[in-house]
Amino acid sequence: MPHVLIASLPYLLQGAAVTLWLSLLVVALGTLLGSAIGILATIAGSTIRRLITAYIFTLRGVPVLVVMFLGYYLFPAVGYRVSAYFAVAAAQIVYVSAFVAEIIRSAIVSVPPGQVAAARGLGMRRGAILREVILPQAARIAIAPLLNNSLTAVKQTSYASVVGVWELTYAAREVVERTLASFQIFLGVMAIYFVICYPLSMLARWCERRASILH
Amino acid sequence: MAMVEVRGLRKSYGSLEVLKRLSFDVARGDVVVVLGPSGSGKSTLLRCINFLDEFEEGEIRIDGETVGYRIGADGRRAPRSEAENAKLRERVGIVFQSFNLFPHRTALQNVMMGPLHVRNMPKTAACELAQDLLAKVGLSEKANQYPSMLSGGQQQRVAIARALAMQPKVMLFDEVTSALDPELVGEVLAVIRQLVEEGMTMVIVTHEIQFARDVGDRIMFIDHGSIVEQGAPGEVLTRPSSDRLKLFLRRYQGDYSKSYQTLPSIE
Repeated sequence: MPHVLIASLPYLLQGAAVTLWLSLLVVALGTLLGSAIGILATIAGSTIRRLITAYIFTLRGVPVLVVMFLGYYLFPAVGYRVSAYFAVAAAQIVYVSAFVAEIIRSAIVSVPPGQVAAARGLGMRRGAILREVILPQAARIAIAPLLNNSLTAVKQTSYASVVGVWELTYAAREVVERTLASFQIFLGVMAIYFVICYPLSMLARWCERRASILH
Repeated sequence: MAMVEVRGLRKSYGSLEVLKRLSFDVARGDVVVVLGPSGSGKSTLLRCINFLDEFEEGEIRIDGETVGYRIGADGRRAPRSEAENAKLRERVGIVFQSFNLFPHRTALQNVMMGPLHVRNMPKTAACELAQDLLAKVGLSEKANQYPSMLSGGQQQRVAIARALAMQPKVMLFDEVTSALDPELVGEVLAVIRQLVEEGMTMVIVTHEIQFARDVGDRIMFIDHGSIVEQGAPGEVLTRPSSDRLKLFLRRYQGDYSKSYQTLPSIE
């Protein structure tokens, strides 16, 4: 029975490679952009802070699929011809950045005020306090939620198939249409997603344990 | 010239006036111990002296230089820049009730923080200085431990070493033994006593009356944001003239039988 799966495995693995690349791109750039926004939210003036809050709450209140469709139609509408892959990646990066920004912002805010008072008491300047005292502690608080967030981001790259980006889920649907072996194929696809995500889950657990030892 | 001069210091949180036009001096090498019930404004006073808290009126000078604001020829105040305030704080060490050590750094790295990131000292020199200071507070063997592995008394001694690493002219102690188990209080007070002997100028907020008597050159009793009474420890602590100080001393010297009978009046 599993011979259909074995026969189509190379094709599925090609799809998995695209999924992996898309995931890396979305997680890396989404986390980078989100971290910058999250840090800015804690040091900027009130106008910028309000804009960031609006950005975070808007995106968090919208399904990723809607943001993707928006991105997919937005680029042509404003006169840019981009590939579906690019549009999807851009939309997901923006979407992920909102979640990352909130994680980073709340991690920074949860560093006890006594830490800042102690650093100021030594005569440290704002930049040094952020770099040496706040961010290292915020990073420890944020790392586990960030990894969990990355996990979600990896899985939601499968939505890209809806607008015709060829990746693992899209490849799986093609194979199913050809072979009609839906259970075999999707069980196989499940296993591939699991193999991609499992190390991230383990890493999140490990970081959580480490953080609790240090505090 | 006094090391610390406070003139007409007024500070409020909203409509609550925490400090009501306080004035006092701390001479070079003197130890002033501030006593007072909780909520009397003692901590706020210390936080104003190194400008961790802003204040609305009055003037504080450290070694002749105004804190937080420049005073113009016309007497108007202009806020100083963040860099100027940071410069001031380099010369005024503060130690907090809750230690506030940096949990992601070892004891040694905590002490090195100021020299490295404020003074821009080379790493080897900062490390040497930090090791000397940890030895001074009796914690050489804990240099590579993280704060979470240290007892409260040890953490507080590291915090004192961290403040000393900036070679301050004045040290401010904000109820540094209040969060400690009774058996750990002694080791922290011993370190402070050592600084007294070295002639450090200090303002100490504490509830340890016996310690205040031992190390204080002057006792200042504050209640509701005003100085109620001040003077030499032998004088003030032995023959307090105000009822409020009498009541306070009775409560903190553990003579509970009397303080039970006289509940504090509500103003």
